[in-house]
Amino acid sequence: MDALLIPFLDATIRTATPLAYAALGEVVTERSGVINIGLEGIIIAGCLGGLIAAGAGGPTVGFLGGALAGLLMAALFALFVLRLKADAIITGTALTLLGLGLTGTVYRGVFGLEGAALGTPSIAPIALPGLSSLPLVGPVFFTQTVMTYLLYLLVPLLAWWLARTHTGLALRAIGESRTAAHAAGIAVDRIRWGAILFGGVMGGLCGATLVLGQVGTFTEGMSAGRGFIAIAIVVLGRWRVVGTALAALLFGGAFALQYLLQAVGWALPYQLFLALPYLLTLVMLAALRGRAEAPAELASHEG
Amino acid sequence: MSTEPVGVDPRDQEALALEGITVRFGSVTALEGAHCTIRRGTVHAILGENGAGKSTLMRAAFGWLTPDAGTIRVHGAPVRFQSSADAIAQGIGMVHQHFMLIPAMTVTENIALGGQGRFDASTTAARIAEVARKTGLPVDPTARVRDLAISAQQRVEIIKALVREAQILILDEPTAVLTPDQATELLRWVRSFADAGGTVALITHKLREAFTVADYITVLRQGRTVVSAARLALSESHVIEALTGTGTGTGVTPASVEASTVGPTIRIADLATERRMVDHIADAPVLRLDGVSYVDARGVTRLRAVDLAIHPGEILGVIGVEGSGPRELLRILAGRLAPTSGRVTRPDAVGFVPEDRLHDAVIPTFSLTENLALAEGGHARGWMDWSRWWGVTRDLLATADVRAVGPDIPMATLSGGNQQRFVMARERRRATAALIVENPTRGLDLNASARILADLRTFGGNPRPAVVFHSTDLDEVLSVATRVVVCFDGHVAEVQSPLDPNDRTPYTRAMTGSDGAGDVISAERR
Repeated sequence: MDALLIPFLDATIRTATPLAYAALGEVVTERSGVINIGLEGIIIAGCLGGLIAAGAGGPTVGFLGGALAGLLMAALFALFVLRLKADAIITGTALTLLGLGLTGTVYRGVFGLEGAALGTPSIAPIALPGLSSLPLVGPVFFTQTVMTYLLYLLVPLLAWWLARTHTGLALRAIGESRTAAHAAGIAVDRIRWGAILFGGVMGGLCGATLVLGQVGTFTEGMSAGRGFIAIAIVVLGRWRVVGTALAALLFGGAFALQYLLQAVGWALPYQLFLALPYLLTLVMLAALRGRAEAPAELASHEG
Repeated sequence: MSTEPVGVDPRDQEALALEGITVRFGSVTALEGAHCTIRRGTVHAILGENGAGKSTLMRAAFGWLTPDAGTIRVHGAPVRFQSSADAIAQGIGMVHQHFMLIPAMTVTENIALGGQGRFDASTTAARIAEVARKTGLPVDPTARVRDLAISAQQRVEIIKALVREAQILILDEPTAVLTPDQATELLRWVRSFADAGGTVALITHKLREAFTVADYITVLRQGRTVVSAARLALSESHVIEALTGTGTGTGVTPASVEASTVGPTIRIADLATERRMVDHIADAPVLRLDGVSYVDARGVTRLRAVDLAIHPGEILGVIGVEGSGPRELLRILAGRLAPTSGRVTRPDAVGFVPEDRLHDAVIPTFSLTENLALAEGGHARGWMDWSRWWGVTRDLLATADVRAVGPDIPMATLSGGNQQRFVMARERRRATAALIVENPTRGLDLNASARILADLRTFGGNPRPAVVFHSTDLDEVLSVATRVVVCFDGHVAEVQSPLDPNDRTPYTRAMTGSDGAGDVISAERR
């Protein structure tokens, strides 16, 4: 039993990690009352940024490169939505298309037709001394990459920040009522800039983690809808930090299930397994009707 | 008309001075050199009709907008506000007419908004409790704002300003959302706040309020200060003249305004007799509720086994504080709400004028013709005969005296009074059996209110339809209704007209449940 269960749970955590980064970034953005559906474009930019930077200076530089790529994409989004008052949905869609197209072009320009070498620097799982020898929990939770461990710290920190700092309160207030927040003397646009850029950095880290911690190389369109899945995760997580982290685990599980089902040798077409996370997204969004807990300002798309 | 303050006490010191304030929105000039000096420890009423510039002037004082010209001084020192944060730092607090609270958040969170660094809920809650105790404004810091009554939300707004150590409070139409008793209570609080050294700018369009509580009165008309003087130096008729401007050609003389809205005593006497008479000529009821109960989405019982019969030709005034059932009662009669239990007998020909006209009754960006067609074409299918609708709209504009350029202009371009007249006229067309009207004068100025109330009184037809209306202004109800019912805690009961037509106590008592309950509430606040 363990022979199947442990690899399944391990794969769940591993695939959930990049999803959680993107989704937590989107939680912060959406709590400020802006929906960035350009997350897909940010993630793919983070993938390529991570690959190029890692090639130049190793994995750590790679993650910085991924974060920077995401930041720049998000800055573009914020510029259009906050400064130029463009529609957030249209801008987000454009950002996704731009990210997918631009990364393909840059990739071919940099690496030529043969593509990147498979020897991309990557990060290996680290077994935490002591904790990793716990039965079941050890190999699943404490034999992961450093990005997963950072997430263990980030989730409580982010939850605390939103609930227990004035800036966190201001951010939530803007998402509920921009006018009321403005009347309280809060610099609405400055905080929204911050929230969108944070979302960009997290989306970029998601991409870099995909490349450096999971796949080991870059392929065009490798984000494969994770940006949209992350947005669904935020809805499933009810716009809360801990809820979103748990929802990311569920979707990680859906990705991991395809490995498990293939391993036990179900004679189903593999395309069906591949479609599983996306089907789950649709089912979850349909099941969670009503947006009672959504930040009220999300309903009005004027950024 | 005097523009110089009269009867200045030399000991009075200036708290907030506004001089030569000009504000333009594009080509529209909202304020033209308006001025007003508010002295420390006084209540200063800012009077004016809708669009006179009262709120704009106070928003400039609160840093919400930057005037195109003029100077603002706080405690004698010139200031230039970049945002409301600057005004808050100078000790100015503002309670906006539409509350700036976030319904999904707690009282504590709402009050802590705009602070810096760590947010510690328990420290803030303790501070709120302290301010609440010192000022006699009870609130529960842990309650969610959406669960609070309007009057409690207003207290939260005031405490929000006081927690930030505001010495100058700007209140924008604070009594518009309150019952008569709550309004009295608030005005009493305002008086005691000023007596303790605080400063209050009270924006209002109710003369009585200004004359009850204010030390100084400034009247704005069309963006200019027309009167600014000590209250004792002014007479009511003088202020009414300043407010409306004589000979403006509105067709309503100040005298009729006074009779219907400002001093309704004469009308009440007439109507008290009329109220008793109508009961005798009543026919079979046109609307009927039998044991109707309503439980809202949050599980709160709003109406409890209500029996009510409404007869053709009567004008039923519904009174009651917010949340006690009038809203649900009217919406069930109008067919907008299905009762949880009980039986409703109502014909199809019932018109409904909701309180929030711009949101619930019309589509602001659509033309007048489209708005008319929408309401009446609900069951129709097939082609739209636009030329016919256009003609119907044009006739309606003429007969209902709606001031509009023509049937093609967007609804949003009409003034509040004209929008209300349009909606009323539209609903009248189909209301051959009954017309249900929610807070008909909400947000309207003196002239527009007087005309709407006159419309309700003279609403005719054959057979004469019934009118059911609710207003938060008791005087309004008494000046129009032929019969009055009160909602209290979901129960609906008829209020017998007192022998003395000027006696309002039976009504105010009924709204608070009993004479005892009102005392408990005011005792708790002290």
